[in-house]
Amino acid sequence: MALLQKSGQPRPAPDDPTGRILDVEALERCLHDPSADIRRRAAADLASCQQATQWLLTQLQQETIPSVRQVIITSLTRINTTEAVQGLATCLRAEDARLRNDAIEAMKQMPDAMAPVIEELLQDQDPDIRIFAVNILESLCHEQVENWLLDVMDNDASINVVCAALDIIGEVGTEIALPVLERTARRFNDAYVGFACDLAIRRIADSRPAS
Amino acid sequence: MKRVLIIDDASTIRLYKRCILEKHGYLVEEAVNGMEGLEKALESHFDLYIVDINMPKLDGYGFLQRIRAEDIDQPPAMMVSTESAAQDKEIAYQSGANLYLVKPAKPAELLTFVRLLMGDHHS
Amino acid sequence: MTAIISQDDFLVFREYFYRKTGIRFESSKRYFVDKRLIDRITANDCASFREYFTRLRFQANGEELQRLTNLLTVNETYFMREEYQFDCLTSHILPELSEHLPTDKIINIWCIPSSSGEEPYSIAMQLLENWPMLRNRDVRLLASDINTRMLDMAEEGLYSERSIRNVPPTWRARYFSRVGDMYQICDELRACVEFSHVNLANPVEVRRQHAIDVVFCRNLLIYFDDLSRKEAAESLYDVMSPGGFICLGHSESMGRISPLFTVRKFPEAIVYQKPWEES
Repeated sequence: MALLQKSGQPRPAPDDPTGRILDVEALERCLHDPSADIRRRAAADLASCQQATQWLLTQLQQETIPSVRQVIITSLTRINTTEAVQGLATCLRAEDARLRNDAIEAMKQMPDAMAPVIEELLQDQDPDIRIFAVNILESLCHEQVENWLLDVMDNDASINVVCAALDIIGEVGTEIALPVLERTARRFNDAYVGFACDLAIRRIADSRPAS
Repeated sequence: MKRVLIIDDASTIRLYKRCILEKHGYLVEEAVNGMEGLEKALESHFDLYIVDINMPKLDGYGFLQRIRAEDIDQPPAMMVSTESAAQDKEIAYQSGANLYLVKPAKPAELLTFVRLLMGDHHS
Repeated sequence: MTAIISQDDFLVFREYFYRKTGIRFESSKRYFVDKRLIDRITANDCASFREYFTRLRFQANGEELQRLTNLLTVNETYFMREEYQFDCLTSHILPELSEHLPTDKIINIWCIPSSSGEEPYSIAMQLLENWPMLRNRDVRLLASDINTRMLDMAEEGLYSERSIRNVPPTWRARYFSRVGDMYQICDELRACVEFSHVNLANPVEVRRQHAIDVVFCRNLLIYFDDLSRKEAAESLYDVMSPGGFICLGHSESMGRISPLFTVRKFPEAIVYQKPWEES
């Protein structure tokens, strides 16, 4: 017993159907395999394949093993289409909090594909969905982000949705946010809202070019 | 000085709580999700955890369940959430929270509970 | 005439290199990248970046891409770097694995990136010197890198004084011999590290490994972007045995990468573990 001498030969790998498979239909079948390892590999291999979006979304809804779910979500993020985003958006209503949080995290990394659905989410009846939507805005590189946030601050009835928006406006806000921040502080008269508004106003003032 | 670990994915909320706590003599450390919280909590000792519920990677319940299973000195934990649903409270307590606070909390209220949990009456 | 790399050229190249390797160069690295690109454009007798880039992309054997990758992925390291993790390996990780695994199961340790071999050889010495249970257990040491030049250097095993400055004198005497200004690692150690070429950003290449019990993946993921980091962690998870451990560099946190692993605290270090079973 000791450190093994190198053999120079590849170690024989255990039998792995995904290792031999190149065509996507076969990978799709592997996506429903009883073995979680095979499902996980198939999901990873489908990341380069846009036509797999619906298969991955369908499997995501029924998948019970967390690591497989993670890989499915990663592949959908890599696919990065509006179709993938719409599928992930339905996960925002899932009972399972982990699935909800994973979907938000994935959608944050898909800014371009996100833009067409974000307005709809921001108008959702459920304040939790609106908080999720605001959270997604944080890493969205889109020219409308500031306007969407200001709209939430002026119009959303839920203090928690507004707080989520304040968290981001401090980082992305420009001068046009200043009057809205003042209105928001007055509208709620709450310690945290006041703090977040002051902070955002200060940050925006600091980043203003010296005249 | 007593050390508090704030675990929250919202940076303004972390800063808000940090300001309140530092003003009253506490040392504050931050983590952006439950996994990072776990790493920090295992790396050094804290006197209190303040934990958000909804976070990426590992949520607040997950953080508490895992940290409560570790063989370390167990400080009290305050869970902070936007939800006032009884069911969420129940899960929080089952996960190992000592207090469940609905946010946004006023500074005085936050401070009262922080002191209460750490047994500080005049800091 | 020297080729000029425009801002657009840089961005196009950066995107391409990122897709191939998971490594994204910040704009602050522009000078570093430009200089190496220009060297390769000149070496290939190309008139412009465009001409070179076309060759790079469409060359069937990928030789030029590998050469360029070799120039862009030099990862300076030294023996016994972040040594506390090696102590953790022999004091806690391996004893714990030995307790769980059947006695005849070989323990596979994999270093990726291996760079020029300092890390896998350090681990070999650590095991021989500080893990008496090696008498009762077989261990296989595997090491991989994307950079073929680094792999050649690793196989050769010739190091500078600077590189071995943290190696204790008794170990130096035992495992190195002096060759001019350099130090040659002994044949006994060279014979027990299996080097191979693997791009961590390519899951198919990663899957050439399997049943890995301990991964050292230090100071590489910091060069990846968020999504590639997550994919890399998932690829590693895929080839690890249940209960296997992963050690990252001291500034890297799995907590910001992926929730797949559990955090484990040992006296020497925080490391990550693939769960024994998934529920």
